[in-house]
Amino acid sequence: MENVMHPPDDRSDSGPLLLEVRDVVKKFGGLIANNGISLSLANGEVRGLIGPNGSGKTTLVNLITGMYEVSSGSIHFSGRRIDGLQPDVIASLGIMRTFQVAKVFREMTVLENMLIPAFCQGQTRREAKARADELLEFALLTRLKGKPAKSLSGGQNMLLQIVRGFMHKNLQLYVMDEPFAGVHQSIKGIILEAIRWMNSQKGVTFLVISHEMPTISNLCSKVTVLGHGERIAEGTLEEVAGDPRVIDAYLGG
Amino acid sequence: MGCSASRSEPFEPHNSKTCAASTSLLSMNTRLLKTIGLAGVLAAALGFPAVMSDYWTYVLTIAFFYAAMAASWNLLAGYTGQFSLGHHTFAMISAYTSTLLMAKAEVGFGPGIAAGILLAVVLSWALGVVCLKVHGLYLALITWAFAEVARNYLRMHFTFTGGDRGLDSALLFGTLKPLPYYYLFLGILVITVGIIAVIMYSRMGYYLRAIRDDAIAARSMGVHIVRYKVLTFIIASALAGMAGAFYGHSIGLISPVMGDFNEMAMIIIFVVIGGMRTQTGPVAGAIVIRIALELLREQSEIRIVILSILVILIMRFFNGGLMELVHRLPQWLHLGGRESVSAYDK
Amino acid sequence: MGMLYCLMSMGINFIYGIMKVINWSMGEFFMIGSFAQYLLLLYVFPVRFWYAGVVVAAAIVFVLGVVVQYLLIKPMFVGIIEAKMEYATIVTIALSIFLRNVAVAIGGPYIYTPPDYAGPTKLLTLPLSGNRVIALLGAIVVLGLFYYFIKKSWPGRAFQGVAQNRSGIQTAGVDVLKYDMLAFGIGTALAGAAGALLAPVFLVHPACGAVPTVRGFEIIVVAGLGSIPGILVAGLLLGIAESLGSAFISPSFVDIYGFVLLVGILLIKPYGLFGKPERAV
Repeated sequence: MENVMHPPDDRSDSGPLLLEVRDVVKKFGGLIANNGISLSLANGEVRGLIGPNGSGKTTLVNLITGMYEVSSGSIHFSGRRIDGLQPDVIASLGIMRTFQVAKVFREMTVLENMLIPAFCQGQTRREAKARADELLEFALLTRLKGKPAKSLSGGQNMLLQIVRGFMHKNLQLYVMDEPFAGVHQSIKGIILEAIRWMNSQKGVTFLVISHEMPTISNLCSKVTVLGHGERIAEGTLEEVAGDPRVIDAYLGG
Repeated sequence: MGCSASRSEPFEPHNSKTCAASTSLLSMNTRLLKTIGLAGVLAAALGFPAVMSDYWTYVLTIAFFYAAMAASWNLLAGYTGQFSLGHHTFAMISAYTSTLLMAKAEVGFGPGIAAGILLAVVLSWALGVVCLKVHGLYLALITWAFAEVARNYLRMHFTFTGGDRGLDSALLFGTLKPLPYYYLFLGILVITVGIIAVIMYSRMGYYLRAIRDDAIAARSMGVHIVRYKVLTFIIASALAGMAGAFYGHSIGLISPVMGDFNEMAMIIIFVVIGGMRTQTGPVAGAIVIRIALELLREQSEIRIVILSILVILIMRFFNGGLMELVHRLPQWLHLGGRESVSAYDK
Repeated sequence: MGMLYCLMSMGINFIYGIMKVINWSMGEFFMIGSFAQYLLLLYVFPVRFWYAGVVVAAAIVFVLGVVVQYLLIKPMFVGIIEAKMEYATIVTIALSIFLRNVAVAIGGPYIYTPPDYAGPTKLLTLPLSGNRVIALLGAIVVLGLFYYFIKKSWPGRAFQGVAQNRSGIQTAGVDVLKYDMLAFGIGTALAGAAGALLAPVFLVHPACGAVPTVRGFEIIVVAGLGSIPGILVAGLLLGIAESLGSAFISPSFVDIYGFVLLVGILLIKPYGLFGKPERAV
């Protein structure tokens, strides 16, 4: 399995940080989901976020995208503080996300799904439709263009969710929650291709949660490992795989 | 439009270009057909009073009122997913405002009705903001509470509002003959449906449908949920208010019965039976059912029993109501169907 | 008085807790309970055994409730229906209209007077209708039984579990669908019991479920969905508000006071006094 990566390390160490999560804590009543997590993404990175179930990955993603408010700590995007902002404002800043369970607009057609983020940005119908056609063609979803999203399979919906985010013209950060889960191999291939293309050609930064280690090692130059709500390791996949704390988190349960 | 719609050409090579061409031709034809159909219906509606008795003209006038109410509620509940149980209340409030202002403060029709609509706007804005914070079911509860409070208030404060006895309202055209009111409400209906159509075809329409389908996802895509939910609520309520205010001045007598839960239930019935997610559904539903109700005057309970069973059956099995029936008809008759049930279909 | 309406609210709340569905036809189950009780007292039991009538009436409503649930509500959870909340609301509203009109069709729009449970009595210096007292006592008994059932008994705690974490408890081996049916049945039975208890107070006619529904929902809105003790508190508050208002301001506005309280509380706490808002995501 050849490592088909653009040279990531150069970019990760130079230039301003795109996303900075500083010591973020999130409590739900008595439950501490995120306990002082810090994370930084440089412009152009493809970062993996891994960790056993319940380690707080999705919570962190929700905090970054504005679904939850932090209990303490702060989140900065391009130098600007974004924790506490509403999800729709955060989206307009250039941050898109996908959900673990594909959240598509079920009663709307595939094409209409694509148009939504474009409209929010102010693109004209013509622009948006052209862009959508392009993306749908790339994703091999063109023939489903006029069908309601509810008639698509789970994997197709995940793909739709993902390319829908790409409609954002000034996409800078794309956070994906388990994009490969339960998805057919061919669709997985398309997703990988999309991520790589967007990253190398458009400079989009990615933060990908996944459990699929082979895919992660293939895709991400660096991973951050969460365990029990804390960041327990960071580095390349090989590095963290050997870290005893990581092993403990996965096996200890 | 989906490409596999061409049932008549199963061996056509799957070439996306010709497919696109053929489907756009198909949609052009259907659009033409729809416009012709619509024009025809409108022409018929305009001509009805000439051939109908006064009685039926009156029936249709009331039907138009309910059609407008149904259409505006559908905007709220069918398209945005905001299930308000207080829609009828806005009609009642506007009617009372206008009537009372004219009676006590001696203003003309114009200012009276305008004030009625204005009050509807203000109240719905306040209510909308309050309801924003709460989830679907709570919206139903709160709007229900609102409806009951308003209705009871009007009943109780009888020195001012006439209570259960009702209030006499100045007649808009100074006469009880149905003819002018027929055209008035036809106009109101057309305006209401028109406004809704404009909204739904615009970007706002997209946002509304997205909010209904998945508010969280819509938010993540950048849709300003708050703004659009409140806006829809206000527009729908204002439309109801408009219909209500004119209604008061057309019937000549208003009473708190307008705000009775039964009225709301009827609106829901019209919309569900007619087809919740379409634009013509609620209108067709309201008109057809009102006519049917008149025809079946004798068995007053049975007709409602049948209606409620229909509603249950439709919700359980058939979700699209009458309009879906109309859509599916060509499919069943093998005339070549359509695949996408986009909300654009009339 | 508030106590009696609590029965209704309890039923509504219980069903909501288990299935996250508001049953708008509770008033009609109340009415069925009333009718059942009336018929039972007329043909089956002598008046002295009115409590037996209540039990049987509640049982009848229970069965009816289970049937309704099976036919109408269950499909929501077995994945057939799409827009769940919409569906539930519309269907239960339609159901209420259906039941009410069927009642009129069968029995005619007449008012039936069931025999009194007890003669008028006196509490301190206030004359009270014996029926109301009995109804109140009965309500307290039923509420007490219900409370005991939920808190202490095994199935009761299973219900609590379903309300708190539906998918979680499935993994523990609980058949939620069966509990759904039972819950709906119990909820409606509570309404039916209320109907049976209040039969001589409100008299029995097809629309007799309307006012209790309104009151029942009032209590729910004030108390908020999801809290059982909250209902009791809200019921008391509303009852007190009504009585005070009638006594000191004006009896003709009696319906309003409850609503004024309602509006006041909603403004401060839109979820009701004890309601638990659902979390997004």
